Amino acid sequence: MVVRERATGVDLSVELCGITLSTPLVPASGTLAKEALGEVDGVYGAILPKTTTPAARVGNPPPRVAETPAGMVNSIGLQNPGVERFMEDLDAFDLGVPIFVSVAGETVRDFAALCERVSGDGRVAAIELNLSCPNVEHGGLTFCAGPAAVEDVVAACRAAAPTKPLFAKLTHEGVVGNARAAESAGADALTVMNTIPALTIDAKRRSVLVRGGLSGPAVKPIALKAVHDVARTVRVPILGGGGVTSGVDVAEFMLAGATVVQVGTASFVRDPGEILAEFSAYLREAGMGAAELTGALR
Amino acid sequence: MKFHTVEIEERRELGAYTLLSYRWPGEKVEPGRFVMARAAGCPVTLDPFLARPFSFYDFEDGAASLLFEVRGRGTALLDRATETIEVTAPLGRGFEIDVSGGRAALLGGGIGVAPLKILVRELAARGIAHDVFLGFLDNRTVAVAADFPGATVATMDGSAGTHGTVLDAAPDLTAYPTVYACGPNAMLAAVKDAAGPEGLRQLSVEERMGCGNGSCNGCVVPVDGGYVRSCVEGPVFRAEALAW
Repeated sequence: MVVRERATGVDLSVELCGITLSTPLVPASGTLAKEALGEVDGVYGAILPKTTTPAARVGNPPPRVAETPAGMVNSIGLQNPGVERFMEDLDAFDLGVPIFVSVAGETVRDFAALCERVSGDGRVAAIELNLSCPNVEHGGLTFCAGPAAVEDVVAACRAAAPTKPLFAKLTHEGVVGNARAAESAGADALTVMNTIPALTIDAKRRSVLVRGGLSGPAVKPIALKAVHDVARTVRVPILGGGGVTSGVDVAEFMLAGATVVQVGTASFVRDPGEILAEFSAYLREAGMGAAELTGALR
Repeated sequence: MKFHTVEIEERRELGAYTLLSYRWPGEKVEPGRFVMARAAGCPVTLDPFLARPFSFYDFEDGAASLLFEVRGRGTALLDRATETIEVTAPLGRGFEIDVSGGRAALLGGGIGVAPLKILVRELAARGIAHDVFLGFLDNRTVAVAADFPGATVATMDGSAGTHGTVLDAAPDLTAYPTVYACGPNAMLAAVKDAAGPEGLRQLSVEERMGCGNGSCNGCVVPVDGGYVRSCVEGPVFRAEALAW
């Protein structure tokens, strides 16, 4: 990373909740397999593996992905081996940069137990709460269904992991009120945003193809507005993302108010190293360091 | 995912299919592995957004080739490419080749014949005896069979070879120590049944993929206790591993 900075003459480092990141890029949860880590060495300022849950989940039956204009809809169903196996395997994600762990549960108690479990491990630099999964105690509404739901779960996680940086990952719907609730319940940062609920249909077979979350460049303007709105509402830093595909996209999210930018679906079709190189070129031309860009809209 | 711009060497129409070969200066291509490929410029237009997975059809003298059928916009654009396309490095787990395994049966259904050409080349190079059985829908898709001298052919419409499926054209598969197959899932399940549990049975699955490197978990196939990704754990699986 140091070599990269010297080569470009640009300071890419940013600070998030007291953690120094060598670049502002972080993978969005569920978009970077350990088999693909070799391709991103030196690109991401932190690694964020796929969401883990209390017990193993087999995930949804296929089809799980459908291409859409400038994006895709996925319905994976949080397939993962469960938190214990996940933690056994965590060293596989060690690229010498901080590791952020994404967790999801079906109840507030699940979330709190997960936070307690992973916060005790020194390899975990921060925890991201994936709040877009269904809360079984509230009729399947998500943990993002409203400020009260967000406040409940974030407060419980805060109490369970009092010293570990805690990020609340929010969907775009009602994001401002939810952001305020997460901040007041003790979240150290907010991840804005998750995929957007969406549906694809196979007209030929007259059947639903994939009902899931839309991601990719198609959602970028929606995500930018969400980040911009939240940045003007809260004081905590933002991990922004949604359709980031180029270095200029990274700059746009930072200008809208993000401190860190998540790259997800684009990493399926581009080398994230190219995105970082484009971002470096943008900074060089602007004569700015990465950290100066956050909220620097004229 | 890293994509490389590669030069098209040759484009040939084989009935309903297109054979596209390109210069590949990278690692040797092994039978059963695949690439994600797209027409040059797709990431700029963002539509189509994803690349498409293709098994290697052949690899000779630094030229890798892909066999495909135009099914949508991604393949239509690839079909129109004239100078370059964009591909990943070879991906996935290919066919296991057992030199002491005895005679092999190779079965392909439709565009699923794609990985068998390079497999035939490899088996021949290692002196492994083999029989090839290919099944097609009709006289447009059967054209590629000319590229498999000595293969036994079946067509669903009876326009060439045996009238019926590839299994109707094949002898008792349980007699073969090794069986390789690629085609639609229903065909692979039928091959698994017909070949029985003894010996080495390998099936190459055809799944839609998002990324090709294991990250999106989109291209899963069922195994006992859950799902595995066909791009990383496959696309070639031992038949007994698949819960069909």
